[in-house]
Amino acid sequence: MLSERIQIIRSEFDSDISKVSDLKDLENVRIKYLSRNGEISTLFEDLKTATKEEKPLVGKSLNELRNYATTQFNLLKENLETASPSTDEKIDITLPGITKILGSKHLLTQTLDEIKSIFKGLGFSILEGPELESDYNNFEALNFPSDHPARDMQDTFFINKEFLLRTHTSPVQIRVMSSHKPPVRAIMPGRVYRNEAVSSRSYCMFHQVEGLYVDSGVTFAELKGTLVSFAQQFYGEGLNYRFRPSFFPFTEPSAEMDITCYLCHGKGCKVCKQTGWLEILGCGMVDPNVFGFVNYDSEKYTGYAFGMGIERTAMLKYGISDIRVFFENDIRFLKQF
Amino acid sequence: MKISLNWLKEFVNLKNVPSEEIISKLNMCGLEVEDEVNQIEIYKDFIVAFVKEKKKHPNADKLSLCTVDTGKELLDVICGAPNVDTGQKVVFAPIGTLIPKGNFRITKAKIRGIESSGMICAEDELELGDDHSGIMILDGSLTQGTPITEALNLNDLILEIAITPNRPDALSHIGVARDLAALFNIDLKIPEIKLVESQKSISEFASVEIEDEVNCPRYSAKVLRGVTVKESPEWLKKKLTNIGLRPINNIVDVTNYIMYETGQPLHAFDLDKLHSKKIVVKSTKTETTFLTLDSKERHLPAGTLLICDGEKPIAIAGVMGGENSEISNSTKNILIESAYFNTSSIRKTSKALVLSTDASYRFERGIDPAGTLYSAERASQLMSELTGGEIAKGSIDVYPKKIEKKLAELRFNRLEKILGYNIPKEKIFEILSKLGFEIVNKNDEKIDCKIPSYRPDIEREIDLIEEIARINGYENIPTVSRINILLGEKIDESKYTDDLRNIATSLGFFEMINNPLQSEKTAALIGNKIPVLNPQSADMAFLRTSLIPGALTVVSKNINVGEKDLLLFEIGNVFSKRESTIEIQNFDDFLEQQKIIFVVTGKSSNKGWNSKEKFYDLYDIKSFVESFLTKISLDNVLEDSYYHSDDRFFDLYFTKNYSNSVIGIGGRVKKEILKQYDIGHSVFCFEFDIDALKKIPLKPKRYLEPLKYPKVLRDFAFVFDSSVNYKEVSAFIKMSGSKLLKSVVLFDLFENESLGANKKSMAFTLEFFSTERTLNEEEVEKEFLGLINSVTRKFDAKLRGN
Repeated sequence: MLSERIQIIRSEFDSDISKVSDLKDLENVRIKYLSRNGEISTLFEDLKTATKEEKPLVGKSLNELRNYATTQFNLLKENLETASPSTDEKIDITLPGITKILGSKHLLTQTLDEIKSIFKGLGFSILEGPELESDYNNFEALNFPSDHPARDMQDTFFINKEFLLRTHTSPVQIRVMSSHKPPVRAIMPGRVYRNEAVSSRSYCMFHQVEGLYVDSGVTFAELKGTLVSFAQQFYGEGLNYRFRPSFFPFTEPSAEMDITCYLCHGKGCKVCKQTGWLEILGCGMVDPNVFGFVNYDSEKYTGYAFGMGIERTAMLKYGISDIRVFFENDIRFLKQF
Repeated sequence: MKISLNWLKEFVNLKNVPSEEIISKLNMCGLEVEDEVNQIEIYKDFIVAFVKEKKKHPNADKLSLCTVDTGKELLDVICGAPNVDTGQKVVFAPIGTLIPKGNFRITKAKIRGIESSGMICAEDELELGDDHSGIMILDGSLTQGTPITEALNLNDLILEIAITPNRPDALSHIGVARDLAALFNIDLKIPEIKLVESQKSISEFASVEIEDEVNCPRYSAKVLRGVTVKESPEWLKKKLTNIGLRPINNIVDVTNYIMYETGQPLHAFDLDKLHSKKIVVKSTKTETTFLTLDSKERHLPAGTLLICDGEKPIAIAGVMGGENSEISNSTKNILIESAYFNTSSIRKTSKALVLSTDASYRFERGIDPAGTLYSAERASQLMSELTGGEIAKGSIDVYPKKIEKKLAELRFNRLEKILGYNIPKEKIFEILSKLGFEIVNKNDEKIDCKIPSYRPDIEREIDLIEEIARINGYENIPTVSRINILLGEKIDESKYTDDLRNIATSLGFFEMINNPLQSEKTAALIGNKIPVLNPQSADMAFLRTSLIPGALTVVSKNINVGEKDLLLFEIGNVFSKRESTIEIQNFDDFLEQQKIIFVVTGKSSNKGWNSKEKFYDLYDIKSFVESFLTKISLDNVLEDSYYHSDDRFFDLYFTKNYSNSVIGIGGRVKKEILKQYDIGHSVFCFEFDIDALKKIPLKPKRYLEPLKYPKVLRDFAFVFDSSVNYKEVSAFIKMSGSKLLKSVVLFDLFENESLGANKKSMAFTLEFFSTERTLNEEEVEKEFLGLINSVTRKFDAKLRGN
């Protein structure tokens, strides 16, 4: 009884599907046979009434019917879809694409990333330290005696007598050397604070990258070589550079490194204050007093350290004249880079 | 510090050296020339002119119409100065001249209807002084047409030199000249002293006593009698104005002149105002007030070093003199003080009074203890010449414990070990001796030298190495072209946050960097805030305890400029005291935590011409958080909690937890908070503790083979009571299903009257598969029907579509 109905529905399906000429007809066939309340589903419902002996056989042919119908339906659907290029498709291919906005890292992060990748290539590790520091790490152990005018070089935000917001990334040098024996070769990027009036040239916080290399046989000549290599990778080959004597309590001899102003190529302009040179970093040989604080033998080991401001570097590289731009976080600025 | 090149040349013979070379040498020896003012260049267009006739301007009461003879032509010039008059010789700026003050160029201009062809200048316009009461009137013997560079000897080059704190010796012309002598290997000429002294000994007129020998190791003095205090001669006034000092009178000007020549600060007292004609140097035992010569009352803390007379303080030692002993026009007899004070004592006083003077600046850095007498004598000689005063015979020089010169050793191989190259010994000796070092011992390996008393910065071998390196030129240090790289462990502590930044930007977020210094009110919202002891302003007096306030400020600022659709993130540190901490004494007393915040507001930026605009909502921040966690492999590790109540920042929020502690929180920022930031739009944000994220142990990632067997999908929809939430239902389905049920995904949700009051419909797709075999229809059907049953019973729900 049921198997007869299966036969009938199969031939009806064959007849109906042979008449299908478009997707709309096909959808009607699907609803008639394959939907939840369609003919085939109804047959499954009726299967419940079949006798125990009948069930396996009928069930099998019913499954076959469903698979057959589904396969036929799918085949035809695919044929209809690919064979009939829709003539009513009116696409204006000149319409603009839909903008997908990608986020971006802050320009300072991008600048730092570039610096980090150069120093990684030169064999440096990357280490970090806290912003809320002890006076000892920030000044004392870096050879800034407590009542020395050298402290005036860095206007400090104090938390109390013993703690402060670090004024430079150099305290990470002390942390690294106190916990590692030489050789040590690392850069130490981070945020620093200065109690300076906010203006286009200075902000109460900014970012630095510190560098340190201590081993036996490290010389000023190697410091020069390493930093020149950095500057050429970062600012471009063929630039001119010079090292000028300077003063930092934690290095001796100390130097500042200048490169040719790349805006005026050394002729003198507003950015380089007519000197033709741009100061890019401070550096020097680690002062033996600092080695004393971290219990390194200064007769056995020598080392160099350097530090540069990331804001300044980015300002020079991208022609930004007001440092506050970095911290206003105007989305129009953030989206530019 | 301003240095005059002409003045420098009095001490070193640099006649034939171009100034560019001098500047370059100074730069390359550590005396950085920050600015230069070339008088010849600045004043090249100004000339002497003769005022031939002065008439009143017909259309203006206060203006004069002058006919000016420039030596070449007669010009009509309008002048506003009250003192201009016929017959004067004046400084004239012809058309085209650039005026130093204000940096503007003179053009032909009509002033109240009458054309003016140039300008008659006042002192301040030329930046030769600050007088603007009238025009400069020149010596009548000058010829019109003479360039003023010639007429006024304006032919100097003024250098602004940045002196680092280790170089007090360079805070004078002789000090800078000494470096030049070493750089050019020429001799330094120190002015000789030729005193004409009276018969009467200084001891008849004054005495000096040092009570505090620690803070005043040396006090030298000279006395002049019968001086006439008046204006200084032109040459002296010009020397001072050239380096930015204001001339006062012939006594004070000489003290300043000598300070800028030798580096020794001097002070002149009106001797007749000193009680008992006596100087006593002592520290105060108690707090005192004192009137300094700038007419300001100063509160001096106990321990301040003072210069007193027989009964009262007359000067704050090394910082500033008192009004009570100041030189006046009626002063007849003076005492010149030339002392050496303890550096830290002066520094403490200067800091306590917030008063830094030319004198204190030098004393706190350290002057030459051996040079006091020389400067006193040199000053007395000049003052005698300028004031007609008589120098009393001899000097007072109280110097109880002579400060001996220090010794330092230099090993030649050490120098090479530090610098990386070898400097010939002869060159080393030459540099050291030109800088004033005395080599007392030498052999093949090393030398011992006596350090000059004006170099307090030099004590050790490394200091000598620096001196040699900087004079020999850093440009002569080789630049190595290869370095050794260690093969040991390389650490990158910034990698984790770098990865987070990459994920955040890939989700479309822009990175912001905010100032961690905030107002008290802002910092007080979460945690135990930490104040800054010396803030710049109340707005920046506390360290941030959360990244949320900074982020909201940025949202507000951007909305104000019309940028309303924002996806922002920040990674930064927040700070808080531990609950039990009163005063931070060590690193355990506070927490410095690294956090990341995501902020979402406005419309989804991806809106285009073929899509409708959609506003970000709570489910967007949730999905960003989920994507973020998936990328750092923490998607199935954290627990969620949901709150429909009030937090400090949120009204609807959720947390991400790990082993029962909250490591992330966020949601919809509540209206009252937004109002504080003037934000009228909904803002959603989420903040994670990065340190906590980092600590969660991760299973190593393993490859999963793509599924070989087909998946079976089944959909169902139910009508629930509206109080039933998604999480309950989805969790129940997952729990009730067998291990073949791999996922439950909500694909439709709606509430409609047709469903009945307080009802909602949720539709789910269930995904079944096995990684080992193809599932058969019956087993899936059976489980699916079973789940329908369970859901229906558990939630009193009604299956839809039947």
